[in-house]
Amino acid sequence: MEFSYEVKDSYAEVKADGRLNMVSAPKLREFVTDVIAGGSNRIVVNLENTAFMDSSGLGALIGCLKAARQAGGDLRIAAVQPQVKMVLQLTSMDKVLTSYGSADEAFSND
Amino acid sequence: MTNVLASRSFRGPAADESIEAVHNHLDSLWLDVPFVGDMDQMTFTTAVIESASNIVQHAEPVGQDPVELGVDIEVQPALLQARVSAYNAKPPFGPMIPGSPDEDAESGRGLALIEALVTTVTFERQDGTNTWVLTRTSQHD
Repeated sequence: MEFSYEVKDSYAEVKADGRLNMVSAPKLREFVTDVIAGGSNRIVVNLENTAFMDSSGLGALIGCLKAARQAGGDLRIAAVQPQVKMVLQLTSMDKVLTSYGSADEAFSND
Repeated sequence: MTNVLASRSFRGPAADESIEAVHNHLDSLWLDVPFVGDMDQMTFTTAVIESASNIVQHAEPVGQDPVELGVDIEVQPALLQARVSAYNAKPPFGPMIPGSPDEDAESGRGLALIEALVTTVTFERQDGTNTWVLTRTSQHD
């Protein structure tokens, strides 16, 4: 899995390309923690190229959400693909991790 | 007699790299059986990876030899089956009951997710090997 980020006007966009599994989940958590420490507390995780997520990956996203909120911000997810959507729905976490069609939309109403 | 249309087997250390290897096996298996629907492929892949990850994260060796992960997957007409094994492993600690963690919990969802993804989950233990047998009734025509 490859991570990248870009600081936009009102949020930081994190891309996580590949499989978000027990191997990459701790790396996502570390990556987002660093982005938050760098001064961005409004995070959009763009999952456009995240083909797979398991419960470890979901746990990492929840950890990142908590870290963003503790920093006074929020974390939202965007461009969710079918497998990730399925995992979010089966675990009822789609109610906690708000999903948007694109990264641009995630904080557009704030 | 079973009619196996395609299969894959993996055995290796219960370690991170094995999870990626098993996932690659699954991706390649689905190319052999394009009649298996996207939903079946997606759900079964997720269940197998969850089970294999559970072994890598939690299985403890029963003796001096390290735990090994084994995954055997078969596609039969209208049935997907995987045997996900922990070799040289202690029996699982405590009851294998799916948890219902709080919404801000960062772990504890794996077993419930597996049960939601497959049709049956059974557990076998024999000669220091724990095996989870996952089946999903395939929806293809």
